[in-house]
Amino acid sequence: MFFGQYLLSRGVISREVLIEAIERQRETNLSLVELAVRDGCIEPQRAEGILTRYRTTDAGLEELCLEYGQIDREKLEELLRIQRSDWVRIGAALIESGHLNPEQVEEHLAAFDELQDEANRQLAADFRACKDPETAKTVIELSVFHLQRFTGGPVTLLTLAADDGILASGRRRYAQKLVGDRELYCALDLPSQLATAIAQDFIGIPVEDNSEVAIDAVCECVNIIGGHACTELEASGFRLRPEPPFLAEGIEPTRELQSCTRAFVMAGDFEVDVRVFV
Amino acid sequence: MAKWRVMTVDDSAAILTIIAAYLEDSEFEVIAAERDGIMAVERFAQERPDIVLLDLIMPGQSGVETLERILAIDPDAFVVIVSSLGTEDAVHECLTSGARSFLQKPFTRDDFIDFMRDLTQVA
Repeated sequence: MFFGQYLLSRGVISREVLIEAIERQRETNLSLVELAVRDGCIEPQRAEGILTRYRTTDAGLEELCLEYGQIDREKLEELLRIQRSDWVRIGAALIESGHLNPEQVEEHLAAFDELQDEANRQLAADFRACKDPETAKTVIELSVFHLQRFTGGPVTLLTLAADDGILASGRRRYAQKLVGDRELYCALDLPSQLATAIAQDFIGIPVEDNSEVAIDAVCECVNIIGGHACTELEASGFRLRPEPPFLAEGIEPTRELQSCTRAFVMAGDFEVDVRVFV
Repeated sequence: MAKWRVMTVDDSAAILTIIAAYLEDSEFEVIAAERDGIMAVERFAQERPDIVLLDLIMPGQSGVETLERILAIDPDAFVVIVSSLGTEDAVHECLTSGARSFLQKPFTRDDFIDFMRDLTQVA
């Protein structure tokens, strides 16, 4: 949840006021790459390449701008300064439009921060309560990281819970078994529209909903998450390797394994379940 | 100048499509693409490509088994493993089994082409 959502949910502002504030932000809050293009130091075509690279590799945006944007560190610092000074937060936009005064923003922000801290403490406690917490945390955090790359938009981990692993309606489960020191499954339960969008972005050509090529591409995305989880967990002493990913139907993994951790994730406007079966 | 003849092996059609698209209009030509290790060994024997890009995790015959069978046909075969798995164990096993290099997925077109060009310096 972001601050604007919080204010809306508490009835402090209306939907229309929130939309207006977000649109005000969009006018001024430019990404580093957009700023560089506006400044003429990165060509639009090159900017697309940088953003593609950002989505498909582990590199950070600043690092990519330096490497491929033909700008030096001094220019980068200048752009970051401009970005910080021009950046309008939702509270400032609401003060500017006269819907809230500074004292009200401060008061609601303090309550919001407290709520966020509590949510983070709860997430940390939920991770600790998972069966095999280190594995679950690694798989879920990598899933969030890669979903962000695959979708090119914001992805937020909201809650964690143990559940029966049953697939929610309107989703399909893309899963992979990891074997070795232990046996587990990682899975993404995705609505078909999001799966298609991920597949198209991944392959770079249009694909039909639920087509073989779309399923195959999303399975490959799960394979990247599973492979990277094995790689990361190796540093903690686990020896794991992934098996080929697959489109699972129903509750297949739970037949063999006892515990399922469900991470409830928002990818843009889509609800996604990331599951770890241990 | 003759193009480098490349064979790609991956159970994912998406990865085969991406690699083919990345290598289009380059000095590399995909002359064969297989989704199965057993078929890949047969195709290798027929085509004798300059470079084989081989997935590690595949149903049926694994990447390492496929690698060993290809090297049994031609000990000088130039096989590169392309995998999402990047553990020290996996990299070590592949390299000691005779793979010439190892590339971890995902990758961009530019990174992939750079990687392929570096390969040709030693192939």
